[in-house]
Amino acid sequence: MTALIELTGIVKTLKGQKQPRTILDGVEMRVDPGESVAIVGRSGSGKSTLLSVLGIFDRPDAGTYLLHGQDISRIPERKAAKLRSAEFGFVFQRFFLLKHLTAAQNVAMALVNGQGWLPRRERKRRVMAALDQVGIAQLAKSKPTKLSGGEQQRVAIARALVREPKVLLADEPTGALDLETGTLVIEALLSATERGCGLVLVTHDRDHAARMGRTLDLHDGVLTERVPA
Amino acid sequence: MRRLSGRGRSALIIGVQGIRARKLRTLLSMVSLFLGVLAVVVVQAGASIAEKAMFADIELQQGVEGSKIIYMGAEPKTTAIVNDVIQGRDDAVAMIGMQAIIGEAGVRPVNEGGAPIGENWGGGPGPEAGGDPSGQAVEVRLSALTGDVRAFRPFRPRDGRWLDWSTTPSLAPKLVLNEAAAKAFQQYHVPAQMRLNGGQQTVTPQFVGVVDDASSTPTAYARLDEVNRWLAPAAGPQNGPSGDLQVLLTASTPATQVLQKRLKAAGTEAYVETVRSRAEMAKELRLIRLVFLAMAGLVLLIGVAGILNVGLASVGERVEEFALRRAVGTPRLLLAGIVLTETLLTGLFTAAAAIGASAGALRLVSMFLGDREPFLADVQFPWDAGVAGIIAGLIAGILGGAVPALRAAGIPIATVMRA
Repeated sequence: MTALIELTGIVKTLKGQKQPRTILDGVEMRVDPGESVAIVGRSGSGKSTLLSVLGIFDRPDAGTYLLHGQDISRIPERKAAKLRSAEFGFVFQRFFLLKHLTAAQNVAMALVNGQGWLPRRERKRRVMAALDQVGIAQLAKSKPTKLSGGEQQRVAIARALVREPKVLLADEPTGALDLETGTLVIEALLSATERGCGLVLVTHDRDHAARMGRTLDLHDGVLTERVPA
Repeated sequence: MRRLSGRGRSALIIGVQGIRARKLRTLLSMVSLFLGVLAVVVVQAGASIAEKAMFADIELQQGVEGSKIIYMGAEPKTTAIVNDVIQGRDDAVAMIGMQAIIGEAGVRPVNEGGAPIGENWGGGPGPEAGGDPSGQAVEVRLSALTGDVRAFRPFRPRDGRWLDWSTTPSLAPKLVLNEAAAKAFQQYHVPAQMRLNGGQQTVTPQFVGVVDDASSTPTAYARLDEVNRWLAPAAGPQNGPSGDLQVLLTASTPATQVLQKRLKAAGTEAYVETVRSRAEMAKELRLIRLVFLAMAGLVLLIGVAGILNVGLASVGERVEEFALRRAVGTPRLLLAGIVLTETLLTGLFTAAAAIGASAGALRLVSMFLGDREPFLADVQFPWDAGVAGIIAGLIAGILGGAVPALRAAGIPIATVMRA
């Protein structure tokens, strides 16, 4: 089976003030459709940089990145934007909801992004389906300031799911939430894997990591599989 | 109508959302731009209204743009040729100018030489020097017409009616006065006697109407066939009028060539002129308009700086929003388009406000000053001033939005990761 994501020998170096610093040093990684993968590691270990490479925010300095078997290691920004829209959904630690928009409008942001055009009715249908998927359809018209942290993160997840992505990338999505709310958010993310979406979760929380299919440890720029105890 | 592309519609939707979310910033941008756009609209409107008013007066005096005028002396044989060529045509009218004195016989008119009332053009000798004594008479320029001249000189009716060629010629010539002549006869009540070309034979004229012909010289218009019966002996053996003769013709009439050939064959010297007053006047006004528009442009630049300032501040505030939009697949070009849409809409709103303010002010000026200044009565807001305002608003939007748009497009996507 073709892997959803396959990284081979990925190297990423950041230019420091004195000398370049290697953040990712020959990272190897594979994610299959419907698989959930947790990435754990110390702060500053390069988890977010790895997520940037996976989400095509950044390009690797060396190595190969295959998405559905296609090499996208060096694709130009225009094509990367198209791929981000069509293939990826992103969830961040800070929810990044626009305060002046309602929950539904925040979700619709991913549909009104210049990558194709959907009629208003179809947009509304998809937005409501995504909000329903994360269990907050009744809050569609609420502004983010009126929502709790968990509700805001679920709006952000709905925004990530509304285009039915093939890969969901989550960067510490429970970092700003209490344990109970965090668990609800993880469940919402895992529900997306049931329809074949791959999930890559960057987290510090060992309990949340344990709920993923596999856990990878990033240490000194090298990714290793953590064997369950 | 062609619909906007997906990107265009996305930019419009997000731009409108951005404006609604930042109403105060938008308002501040509009305030800084308002004076600049207003200046452009006012200069353009002022120039258009002035040009229209000037042109309307010039048209009354010189003739409709593009029409032809043939000038010649009104000798009997010339008059006969002209009559022969233009008789029965509605695309040509002959106009013979002569002097006429209306009022007491044997006195010097109050405006000897046909001068505007109140101006002294230096008349003949007074009674002490052996001339006529000054008395109750007004000298006018009499224009005798072969047909309705208003197709060439659209005189504005002021009172009464215009000459009627459908009736048989009257022995008492009907006169239509211009405003200067009407004013003279209001000021000086004179007997209803008229002498043509300074002759002694008197005619009883009838004043039937008053028109505005944009001339300050007292002038009366009459039918040539009514005037012809009473011409002074000096007019010549064939009882034709003397003075100057003009034939006004439409641009396309074949009568021009026929008349020119016949006059040439008769040995008459004629001078042909095509009315080109609009082009000449536009050339003169262009420089003045450019100077004023340049000044308005400077004021507009200050407004552009305001939009630029507010735009940069706005982009600085929205770094995370733009980075997030890039993360969900929005191309850089669309991000620039969103910022430009916002500034363009701000420019358009400002233009609408400036146009509305100018049109309202013009209406008030027309209401309150229309009686004193006729060119301001019923004046309409010129559409080209509206177009100039919209263009100024759009240019300001583009100039003021370009740098913030580039900055928005350059925001690194990783901003959301490191926040």
